[in-house]
Amino acid sequence: MNLLGKWHPRFWKRTPRAAPGGDEHLEAAPASGLDDLEMRLNHWSHLWNVDSESATRTEAQQVVAERLAHLMDRCFGRHVQSSLRGKSGQISLASSTPIFTAFLGRRATRELSRRVLQDI
Amino acid sequence: MPRLVRLIWTLLALHLALGMIAYVHHLVTGQYVVLGWYFSALGTLFFLVMTAAECCLAIMCRSWFDSDEPMRLAWGMIACAALARFAGTILRAISDGHLPWGNWHQLSQPFGGLFVSLSQLGLVIGGPLSMAFLAVGLGRVLSIQRKFHLVESLTRGDQALLFLVLAFSFSQLAINLPLLGQHPSLGTMLLWLSDPLLSLLLIEAILVRRSVVRMGQGLVAKCWGMYVLAIVITSAGDGAIWASNLNLLPESVTALTWYIWFVAAAAFTSAPAFQLAAVALTREDGVHLLGKR
Repeated sequence: MNLLGKWHPRFWKRTPRAAPGGDEHLEAAPASGLDDLEMRLNHWSHLWNVDSESATRTEAQQVVAERLAHLMDRCFGRHVQSSLRGKSGQISLASSTPIFTAFLGRRATRELSRRVLQDI
Repeated sequence: MPRLVRLIWTLLALHLALGMIAYVHHLVTGQYVVLGWYFSALGTLFFLVMTAAECCLAIMCRSWFDSDEPMRLAWGMIACAALARFAGTILRAISDGHLPWGNWHQLSQPFGGLFVSLSQLGLVIGGPLSMAFLAVGLGRVLSIQRKFHLVESLTRGDQALLFLVLAFSFSQLAINLPLLGQHPSLGTMLLWLSDPLLSLLLIEAILVRRSVVRMGQGLVAKCWGMYVLAIVITSAGDGAIWASNLNLLPESVTALTWYIWFVAAAAFTSAPAFQLAAVALTREDGVHLLGKR
């Protein structure tokens, strides 16, 4: 076996072959899939940030805020919560993530976010 | 209270109960045999267990932070401080079996050379070096707390305490600086740094305390509150040594002040235990069930 074969200049000059079938695999995804993705992203965005334009809070946002308030209370204390409340008067993942990350670490905060958003 | 913290304070309570038996024996008989054995054997063992536990817990806390996170350095420094106290206790136990905190006022008499003895090396490592590590760690924590606007301005009581601490440090420096002419050992000069470093730690502790008050009674707040408690107790112990050297305290009270250091060790160990309890909270299965409709 020629171990030095791969260093031959011939391999360097090789141009990659075109994908079989040309451009036919680059078709646009069905519109229903994109709508579904957009809906999911909007849902997560609303859960992430309570201070969005919509004045009305969903039930899911309420649950997230309650879970966060409970964790904030046990980790830091009641006083920290007041400084993190937004215009809507509730804690959001967006407002609480920096302080959790600073004092508990990125990995613990990721775990915390996962727990908070579980079953929602 | 987290299970680990409860274990630490239960261990301290048992240790102090044994210590009180030794103290009562000393009061009744007037002899130091049992009291001496308690401090040299059980006391050293207690310090070794507590500092080793603190170091391990601090390393575990550090491991929860990535390399680019500022708290990783803070916990690394705190782990180094605990390791230095552990090494200092071992060196002192090996060299002469003196009391773990030592009579550094006697040992810091001017001598030539680097270190007077292995015991003095242990005092330097477990004292000023450990304090320097802790000061860097707490400084980092304060900068993070300031970022979140958690550090409040000092009250009049805080300012008065700061003034007292600084006055004490300057008075100690004024006593020690003239001794430089007698060519003291490096170890002796390093031990002179104990008071200024303790003052720095107290200043940091006061600032951390203000932020803890602002936070509330959560696990993270209690973690940093424990460091404040430990530093204040260490300062009280230092003050007791200073007072007993000046014969300001009666003999029976002097022996009683030696117990302060065990409480400080337990407080130091409890701090990372609280932090780990806070981290464990994020992994609890019950979190996602709360508020579920």
